[in-house]
Amino acid sequence: MKHKDKVANRLALLEGVNFSQAYLDAIAAEIEDLDRIVAELEEFAQSTPWVSQQSQSRGSKA
Amino acid sequence: MMAGADICELNLAELSKLLAARDLSSSEAVMAALTRLERLDGKLNAFITVPGEQAIAEAKKADDEIARGRYRGPLHGIPVTIKDLFETAGVRTTAGSKILADWVPQTDSAVGERLRAAGAIIIGKTNLDEFGHGGTSTLSHFGPVHNPWNPERIAGGSSGGSAAAVAAGIGPLSYGTETGSSVRRPASYCGIVGFKPTFGVISRTGSFRGAWSQDHVGLFARSVKDITLGLDPVAGFDARDPASVHQDTAAYTARLDANVKQLKIGILRRFLEGVNHEVRQAFDTGLEVFAGAECEIIDLDVPEVSYAAMTSMMTSSAESAGINRQWFRERHQDFVPHVSRGIAVGMTITASEYLTVQRARHRIREALRRAYDRVDIIASPTTARAAPLISDAVKGNGDDTRHASYNHSNLLRFPSMLGLPGCSLPCGINTEGLPMGIQLIGSWFADQIVLNAALAFQNATDWHTRWPAIARA
Repeated sequence: MKHKDKVANRLALLEGVNFSQAYLDAIAAEIEDLDRIVAELEEFAQSTPWVSQQSQSRGSKA
Repeated sequence: MMAGADICELNLAELSKLLAARDLSSSEAVMAALTRLERLDGKLNAFITVPGEQAIAEAKKADDEIARGRYRGPLHGIPVTIKDLFETAGVRTTAGSKILADWVPQTDSAVGERLRAAGAIIIGKTNLDEFGHGGTSTLSHFGPVHNPWNPERIAGGSSGGSAAAVAAGIGPLSYGTETGSSVRRPASYCGIVGFKPTFGVISRTGSFRGAWSQDHVGLFARSVKDITLGLDPVAGFDARDPASVHQDTAAYTARLDANVKQLKIGILRRFLEGVNHEVRQAFDTGLEVFAGAECEIIDLDVPEVSYAAMTSMMTSSAESAGINRQWFRERHQDFVPHVSRGIAVGMTITASEYLTVQRARHRIREALRRAYDRVDIIASPTTARAAPLISDAVKGNGDDTRHASYNHSNLLRFPSMLGLPGCSLPCGINTEGLPMGIQLIGSWFADQIVLNAALAFQNATDWHTRWPAIARA
């Protein structure tokens, strides 16, 4: 997928809120960071178990 | 009769001893704190709401109770402050936001309930980054908090108003919250003690969420003993908070013990690169204090921690977007712009990406779990530099990055992300007259070990006894 499309896809997740162009530009810059981070974390987290922890047991004591 | 200025310089332990003996009244203590607040808050902007008349009335009631022999304990009649993220019945709670500028809750937060039960007098609601989203306390609808050591500097955030208040002697104790570093960072920048316990020790009921899986309640004071005196009444199980844990009746004060002989202190040296040289020097001198107390200093290498900052920031970004989703849709223009952008970015994180981030978090947690098999405490400089200028705003903190790196912000971020207990203590004053801090991070539920180590450090140093000039002007 083209980079421009990736950003557009993410902006579509903002649920139709109307923003100024300047605001969208600022978000787009941060979204570029986000894509890089996700890629780094995906690589880092490979072979780590999926988190399956339930909520705290009421019976446990600190 | 003691002068108001002198009363404000008493720490909590001293003040409560005088109140219990009726050598000083709660009314005098509360008036002294309110007078100082009125004198200094034009310069600090540490407070959003000051329920002064209510506080004076409650102080009178506390005096009556103490006179009748109904003394409730060390917080009875003590003037305290709380971050304006905690709901207070009948007193507006803004969370630093225009959205809630006029909101008056009908009930107290769990912390508020417990403080009132302990007889504490809430004299003010402190300023913060909007909804706790920030590390500077400049991102408030009510304007930036100024550092008492130099009003051109930030107090740190998001609990900056609480830290500034304690540093300036406006009440000896304040309660804040921490999602990333919002207790330890402002404590370090303001030259006081900041402590956040293990995740689940203090209930978060009735406090606004920054990110539910990382939010903690924490405390600020000028001594470690004051921290434990403030911790004992508010720690405990609360079924209303899903993260709350069953625990024995809190007795952190009774169990304080400065003997730390043979304590193992780990250092993650690779993350100290880039730390300001004065901060590094103060930290190294601080380590000598522990070495002198016959602690064992151990070098640790936990490379997984280099992913802590971005994992923590991605988690809080996604969770805060979930929490603020409706307000964002309806009133995004009413958020502070930087906070609004952060929520917008969080809303673009997909569920599968969030789960990937949680896998990364799990990997870091397990690496730290193994590290704590070897050491009792991990020590580091709390922040990489002293308080930056307000004019440098968010960038001044130097850690607004989500990239993997070997930088210090990973050390600031991993404790809250993993729910570990942490304490920041003043460990020096730099050549610009700004405080610097050392942080001690324990394993899960090793809160007492952290507090004992902090006490040992404080007994051997006098940095916590220094006051900013503004407090004495």
